[in-house]
Order: sequence, then C-alpha cells, then structure tokens
Amino acid sequence: MATAESTETAGPADTADTGSDQDYFEEFPVSARLVRLNFLVAFVALGIGGLFGMLQALHRTDTLRILSSPDYYTLLTGHGVLLALVFTTFFIAGLFTWGVSDSLGRELPGDWISWSWWTMMTVGTVMATVAILGGLIDQIPMQADVLFTFYVPLKAHPVFYVGVVLLLVGSWVAGFDWFRTFWAWRKDNRGERIPLRTFMVLITMLMWYLSTMGVAVEVLIFVLPWSLGIFEQIDPLLTRSLFWFFGHPVVYFWLMPAYLVWYTILPKLSGGRLFSDGLARIVFVLFLLLSTPVGFHHQYIDPGIAEGFKFVAMTNTMFLLLPSFLTAFTVVASMEHGARQRGGSGYLSWLRSLPWDRPAFTACALAGLLFAAGGFSGMVNAGMNLNYVVHNTLWVPGHFHLTVGTAAALTFMGISYWLLPQLTGKKLRGRALAIIQPYLWFLGMTVLSNAMHRGGLMGLPRRTAEPEWNLVEGDFASGVGALSEVQLQIAVGGVLLFTGVVLFLLVMLLTWTGRQAPSIGVDRTIPPALSGPENSPRILDNYRLWFGIAVVLVVIAYGIPLGDMVADGLLNPGSPPISP
Amino acid sequence: MEIHRFEKIWTVASILLLIGFIASIVYGAVGPGVAMVDEEGGTVDVETVRQGNYDQLSNFGEPTPVAQQVSGDEYRANIVAQRFAFNPGTSQPLQVPADSTVTLYLTSPDVLHGFELVGTNVNTMVIPGQVTKVTVEFEDPGTYNIVCAEYCGSAHHLMEGTVEVLPQSEFEEVSS
Amino acid sequence: MSADTDDGIVREIGHDEFDPVGTASLIVVYFLILVVMWVFMYFVEFLGRGPTIIG
Repeated sequence: MATAESTETAGPADTADTGSDQDYFEEFPVSARLVRLNFLVAFVALGIGGLFGMLQALHRTDTLRILSSPDYYTLLTGHGVLLALVFTTFFIAGLFTWGVSDSLGRELPGDWISWSWWTMMTVGTVMATVAILGGLIDQIPMQADVLFTFYVPLKAHPVFYVGVVLLLVGSWVAGFDWFRTFWAWRKDNRGERIPLRTFMVLITMLMWYLSTMGVAVEVLIFVLPWSLGIFEQIDPLLTRSLFWFFGHPVVYFWLMPAYLVWYTILPKLSGGRLFSDGLARIVFVLFLLLSTPVGFHHQYIDPGIAEGFKFVAMTNTMFLLLPSFLTAFTVVASMEHGARQRGGSGYLSWLRSLPWDRPAFTACALAGLLFAAGGFSGMVNAGMNLNYVVHNTLWVPGHFHLTVGTAAALTFMGISYWLLPQLTGKKLRGRALAIIQPYLWFLGMTVLSNAMHRGGLMGLPRRTAEPEWNLVEGDFASGVGALSEVQLQIAVGGVLLFTGVVLFLLVMLLTWTGRQAPSIGVDRTIPPALSGPENSPRILDNYRLWFGIAVVLVVIAYGIPLGDMVADGLLNPGSPPISP
Repeated sequence: MEIHRFEKIWTVASILLLIGFIASIVYGAVGPGVAMVDEEGGTVDVETVRQGNYDQLSNFGEPTPVAQQVSGDEYRANIVAQRFAFNPGTSQPLQVPADSTVTLYLTSPDVLHGFELVGTNVNTMVIPGQVTKVTVEFEDPGTYNIVCAEYCGSAHHLMEGTVEVLPQSEFEEVSS
Repeated sequence: MSADTDDGIVREIGHDEFDPVGTASLIVVYFLILVVMWVFMYFVEFLGRGPTIIG
C-alpha cells in the first residue's frame, strides 16, 4: 500500500491491493499484450496522420507544395480519419484495457473474443486507409476523398465504409470485453463500490453505445447500401443529422479517457491525491446524460431543422460545459495538493513546486492548460446565433486542435511515457526528448491554433486547399495585413507539431526496442483519493439508471426532428451518388 | 455527499455563467432580431433542380442575377449553388439595392455547399433537396465576396462569387 | 533515474487540512477571462458585423 494515510480514508485505493511488488506487465501479461498491440496501431496511425497534417499546413499556406490541390482533400481525409478515429480509438482501447485490469486486479479473459475485437478494428482500419490512399496512389483503384465526416452525396468506395463499420463494431466488442471482466469481478466483490478507473470506462462505453447508434444506422442502413448501388438515392439532410447524432458525443469519447488520466493518475504524478472521487463520478454521469442530445449544434445553420430543436440542443450543450468546469476545479485542486506536499506554498507560487521535469506530468498539465482555451472557443461554437461568425471557418479547426489535438492527444502521448515501461518491462529511453516534447507541442499548438482562430474571424474557410487571399480582402474585410502573418504561423505551427510527433515516436521506439531492465523506474501505485468513493452516494454506481435517463433525453432531443426528416420517405428528398 | 465550499461556489458561478451565455443569445434573437436558418424553405426534388425545371417548383424559381422587388424595399433572389459555381454569383454577381431587405432562396442540384459572405454574419448551408431561405438587410453599397464554406469536391477551393450592393440609381438601371 | 519513482513528497497533507486556495485563485482569473472574451466575441465580433440573417 502506498504512503497515503489509510487511517483517514476507510475505502480502498483505486489500485487493487494485490500486495504485489510486480510491475503491471508481470502481473497481467495477457492484458499487457493486448494494450501493446492497440498502442502499436495507434502510434502508426499517429505518425502517418501527423505527417499528412504538416503537409496540409504547408500546402494551404502556399509554403511548400508537393501535391496538387485536389490531393489536399485526400490528405485531409487521411489526417482526420487516422488521427480522430484510428489513433484515438486504439489508444483508448489500450488505456481502458490497462485501467480495467489494473483497478480490478484482474486480467481480461484474453480468449478469442478479446482478440477478435482488436483484429476487427485493425482490419477495418487497413481497409479504410487503403481506400483513402487510393486518392494519392493511382495503382489503388479506390478513393475516399470524402473527409472524416463523409457527407453524402459525395461518395467514397464501399471498402471505405466497410472499414469504418468494422472499426466501430470492433469497439463495441471491446466494450463488452471490459464489461464482462467487471461482471466477473463483481460476483466476487458484491456490495463494493466500482473502482474509479473501471467506473469511468463503463460510463464512457455506455455513452459510446448510445451515441454510435447514429452513425451505425447512417452507414449500415443508408450509406453503405447506397454506395453499393442497392439504393439509387439518399437523403443528405437525414444522413448528416445521423452523423452528428454521433459526431458530437465522439469528442467526449476522446475526452473522457483524457479525464480518466487527469483524475486518477495526474494527482499521483503531481505528488498528491485526487481531491474528490465522488465529484469525478458525478462528472462522468453528467457526460453520459448530456453528450448525445446536442448534435444539432453542429447544424445550427442547416435548413430543414426548426429553430426550436436548435435551441434545445444549445441549452443542453451549455449545460454540458458544467462537467468540464467541475473537472477544471477538481483536477487543479489535486495538482495543488501534490505541489503543497512537495513543499509548495502561496496563492500561485505552488505551481513552481510541480514536477515540470517529468514528461508525463508536464504533458498532462500543459494539455489541461490549452484545453481551458479550447473550452472557450467551444463555448462560442455552442452559442447558436454566435455560430454564424465561425461556422465552417478556420476557427473551428483552431478549436478542435486544442481539444482532441491537445487535451486528448498530448495527454495520450504524455501518459505513454509513464505506461510503456510498465507494459514492456523496459526503462524509458530518450528521456531528454520526452521532457522537451510536451513543451514543443505546447509552443506549436499555441502558434497554430491562435492563428487558426484569428484567421477564422478574418473569414478564412476551413477544409480548403488554397489560401483564398482574395476573399478576405475587399470592402468589408478586417485585419488584411495580418493575413500573411496568420498564414506563416499556421505553417510554422504545423512543422513544430509534426516535430513533436516525431520526437514522441522516437522515444516510443527507443524504449520499446530497448532491453528489459531489472527496474523500470516507474512506481505504479496510485494513492487513495482525499475524499474517497465511500463519501459519495451509491446511486452514482447505478449505471443502468443513468443510461436509461440518457436514452430519454436523446429521444426528446431527436425524436421529432428525425421523425420529420423520415416522414416524407426514408430516402426522400434524395440525391444520387457523386464522385468527389 | 460532502463537497468543498470552494467547489460549491465555483459550481454556482459556472451555472450563472452558462445562463449568462444563454441570455446573451436570447438577447440577440429578441433585440437585434437575429434568426436561425430553419425549415421554412421547404423541400424540393433534386432531379427537377438538376434539370432546371424551376417552373415545376412552388418554393424555388429561376436564378436571379438581379434581385426582384417584392414590395417597397423588400426583395427576393434565387441562387443555385453547384459544383463549382454560384448561379448567380460566380460568372455574374448577384446585385441587390442598398438599404433593402432581401430574402435569399438557395438550393443545390448536387452536393452540400456553403454560402458565406466574408466579413458578415451571412453564413448558411445549402443542402440538395432542401431550400435555404434567409432574409438579410443590406445597408451600405459595396461588394461582398461569397465563399463556399462546405467541402464539395476536388475544385471546392475555386468556388467563389460576389454580391454587389448597388446605390439605388445604379440598381434601377440594371433591373430594367 | 529517480525523477519517475520519487514523487518528491516532503510532507503529507490530509483531507481536512487542505483548502485549494491556489485553485480558487486560478479559477477566478479563468472565469474573468471567459466573461471578457465572451462579451468581446458576442457584442463586438458578432453584433458588430454588418449584414446578418434576421429571418
């Protein structure tokens, strides 16, 4: 048991007290293998997707062009799919496998079901990636230049859609793997509170099951058959709405694992303890309830949807800010606790007592800081009529590079520095690179996203291959002279970030190919929270109740508007396929 | 459940902040009268639009390079957004008079497009099968640039146009 | 290397002894930034732009 004062808190630590001096990979070799395989695919996707991102930044700003402008959209599709769907899903699957097994003190079954989900996800990823690369490689007779959102009636090769489906179904089976491990644990541990990390995994997956219903229906019932010629036409508004049913909650699928790291590991990395276990549970329950009935905030300026439903989506979205506001307080308070235990004092000078030379800590802390900025641009996006200023401008990527691109991605990279030694039995190598990489990311992202936000306000559109100088000049333009400065910052930011990706992958490679060490130099124990689960209502663990309420809220938000869209026919008004 | 008093205060402050955001949005709707795009434009058959048989449609008409007067200073204009031009807008500008209220009707015969006047709050989606109906007040004369803000294919970055707000006298000349 | 296994703890602080005054300070600053930025975005950037969709 760790050094924490177990006389104060009656509850168990989140790490199951196995009394083990073993490292994670020794205690749970089967789960560790599964985690490693997921991380492997995640890191390969990160490398390719990151490279595409840099090429886009250089092309779009007319700094360096090695491809044509139509090819830009192939790069953009690859960047979005490989980073926002593949890197994220695989990393999260690995993180959750670790979190469930470590907090329950139990291996995943590791039978054919466990291997089937990784296989399905990987096969799907390869299919979708090959289809996308067909846009750049003539020898592949496929294309998928439809971007990460694949709005119809632009049509990709059916192989792309099949790949997406396999990735999705694989993730569902992964969730089942974690649930069945939990159910087996509960048989032997009746009446106990669910260990926090497992609780977070289960709640996240319940949110995932509910939200992926939208994209599953969209692709399986409409887009895939239409792409195979089974239907001649498809309703663009309906399928777009089904996509966004999923498209907003997916960002919480990315964020909640980052929050899992910030709540359960970051306090320990800071030298402290989680400020409140109960508040962490409340936050996750709020995400389950509110993540899905908000999708229309991505469609504020769509025709075909009445303003009342957009208003409901807006108020739900504004309340969805609350769990993130609570997280800011609880996580920073936990870090402050660590800083003071390390000898810090004062109102602000305690910040200097935090372990800024510890790569996992620094990455998470800087990710949280940039997330605070990204949260603000999200508030603007949510602001219904205010959305007119920013919709489809470069402001939007400015926002999400701070959120998925930093809060999630930088946290994932950072915690890998702490996890990989525990997964492989090898010490972290290239530590000096690991220490500077988060700072480099922070610099690159500050430059990039600041420029994107300003460029968006000046009128630069997103998802566009050319700088569009002429459009943002003219009678009603603002900040004309600043445009070239914005373009330069985007190019510089893109290069800095890709350098950050390369440094991270280099550290991973050096560590992974190193020799096993007698001591991996990582302490895996997580001290108990300052206010443990025994201080929070048991009803929080009643995940069936929360799931039921979440379903009701979704029916209220989506029932009538989707009903209106299908009232004139499932495929009406319909469009035939169009090749990009 | 025991929650630290600082966190309780922060929770209340956060909720007040969210309510403040919602209140400013409601103010924008009630005061300056900002309205969201909605379903008023109705739906159309995509093939009919593609063939250009506008006379068969009750809620959309021929593309109008010069806005048509409805009454007083109220005008209307029909715009088709297609791969990769606005009609009107690209090969010829859309012309509207200064100090007018113009209702724009937009649709697409092919894929999703965006219609955005750079530097303004005129920003909307154009979806095949739907008619986008938006009303805008134009005051001072000048030229606005139209950008297609939604990816529509390999030449998306070339799709742009202009809206010219003409002084009354000039507008009267072009509408005759 | 000691930096990863040594949490650098020099004193233990229990639940009842800890008031997150540093967090409170930071979050007040954040709150004020949000208010100022929102007012700027809504009333200057948004309502200050010309033509707007009013119907």
